[in-house]
Amino acid sequence: MLKVENLTIAYGKTEVVHHVSFDVKKGSVVTIAGANGAGKSTILNTIVGLHRSKEGRILYKGEDITRTAPDKLVSKGIRLVPEGRQIFAEHTVEENMLLGAYVEKDAKKIRDRMDQMYDRFPRIKERRRQIAGTLSGGEQQMLAIARALMTAPDLLILDEPSLGLAPIIVKDVFKLLTEIKQTGVTILLVEQMVDNALSISDYAYVLETGKIVFSGTRDEVKNSDDIVKAYLGNV
Amino acid sequence: MQQLIFGLANGSIYALMALAIGMVSSTTGIVNFAHASVVMMGAMVSWWMMVICGLSYLPALFVAIAVSIVLNIVMYETCVKKLGDLQNNVGWIITLFGASIILDNIARMMFGTEPQAFPYLFGGKMVTVFGANIMLHELMMITIAVVIGVVYQTIIKRTRFGRAVRAVAFRPSTSELMGIKSEKIILSCFAMAGAVAAVGGALIAPITFASYTMTYSIGLKGFAAAVLGGFGNTKGAFIGGFILGLIEAFICIFVPAGIKDSISFVIMIIVIIFLPEGIMSAKFFNKNLSAAEKV
Repeated sequence: MLKVENLTIAYGKTEVVHHVSFDVKKGSVVTIAGANGAGKSTILNTIVGLHRSKEGRILYKGEDITRTAPDKLVSKGIRLVPEGRQIFAEHTVEENMLLGAYVEKDAKKIRDRMDQMYDRFPRIKERRRQIAGTLSGGEQQMLAIARALMTAPDLLILDEPSLGLAPIIVKDVFKLLTEIKQTGVTILLVEQMVDNALSISDYAYVLETGKIVFSGTRDEVKNSDDIVKAYLGNV
Repeated sequence: MQQLIFGLANGSIYALMALAIGMVSSTTGIVNFAHASVVMMGAMVSWWMMVICGLSYLPALFVAIAVSIVLNIVMYETCVKKLGDLQNNVGWIITLFGASIILDNIARMMFGTEPQAFPYLFGGKMVTVFGANIMLHELMMITIAVVIGVVYQTIIKRTRFGRAVRAVAFRPSTSELMGIKSEKIILSCFAMAGAVAAVGGALIAPITFASYTMTYSIGLKGFAAAVLGGFGNTKGAFIGGFILGLIEAFICIFVPAGIKDSISFVIMIIVIIFLPEGIMSAKFFNKNLSAAEKV
């Protein structure tokens, strides 16, 4: 589905990601774990076209999408749920959903998709006329995910979906991601607090200061004591 | 009554200028210091079209609108976009001021230094309202300005494009993630601001005479109105513009006409001291507004 080859990313002259390669198979959930500042968000922002890579290439469904504009990638079916949710706090909830479907021109398709989302997220439906900034953190995260699903993406990328949420809400978010996976969506996750992420992942990479230092299936990661101690806390 | 309408008419043009300045500043965070010059160009080009090329008012206005849109787009491409990240780079203060000076001097060379009489709409016809003689042109100024304000507000609040404008204003990079081309939205805002500038310039020119000095005599009032009402706030722009126009119309009773123009800036300074975000930020207007959480 997604193949990242030899990706190097720099801010100005400072290289922050060095020759990173990884692979996300169709229908799987892949986690990239790593501490603050390891370069996780930078990699995601580069995949979705917000940031330019210095070297390397990104393949999506076999097609080279390196340096493709974000709006094109949305149309191709790649959606990023950004770090910290980044909902449009001054728009209403429904307007946030409509913005999520911005590239879709067919009004009926948008309507249908919105109804589906409202079925899946009854809380969002209840609050559709509210200003999005008045939602709770958990509701905002749900809105951010629902907004990304408005174009029915094939690859959903999430940047720290658990950030700033109460543990019980985090459970809900990951339950939701499991459901989304079952509908055939491929998921790429980035997390610092990886216990929840690992529990739904098929494969994981550990990133340290811009380099991948470990990769393996969920069980391989869990069984690797060093990795668990160093990065993952209590799994 | 005459003074009241006169004040509102001038005020509506200040409001249009404030509105256009707000269109640009809300999406890009920059203040288009060259806006006043585009207003002046709008007036001068429509004068030129009418007097030299013999067009009638409306076609002349459309040419002026087209020219102003092009000017604003060129200004964005050369003075703003090339600078890159506007949050870290305040070069636009200088480049836009520079553009303003260039435009003023081009106007002076092309159109001369002499203020030119500018025809009124409806040939300066007067109507009698409540026993006062009022020029139809002034009523049209107010009507057109209010219509533009209402249309703009509706576009921003109700349409797909408007949603995108507000999204880009709030979070440009997240908007990109939605598939919105921020660049295109910003360019459209510059174009709209240019069109509004031309309309404002052509409407007020009969009162002030068309001249390259309009940049300072009229244009700066637009900034004062924008500051009074709060940048990027449509309702505020109109309140600011009308207040400014009315004060100017009535202040002559109390002070010598010579310092009339400085009054608006004194008011602006007072407002900045007490309500830095404009009149609309006063508690009086925000009683029922729940504090939206900005994440």
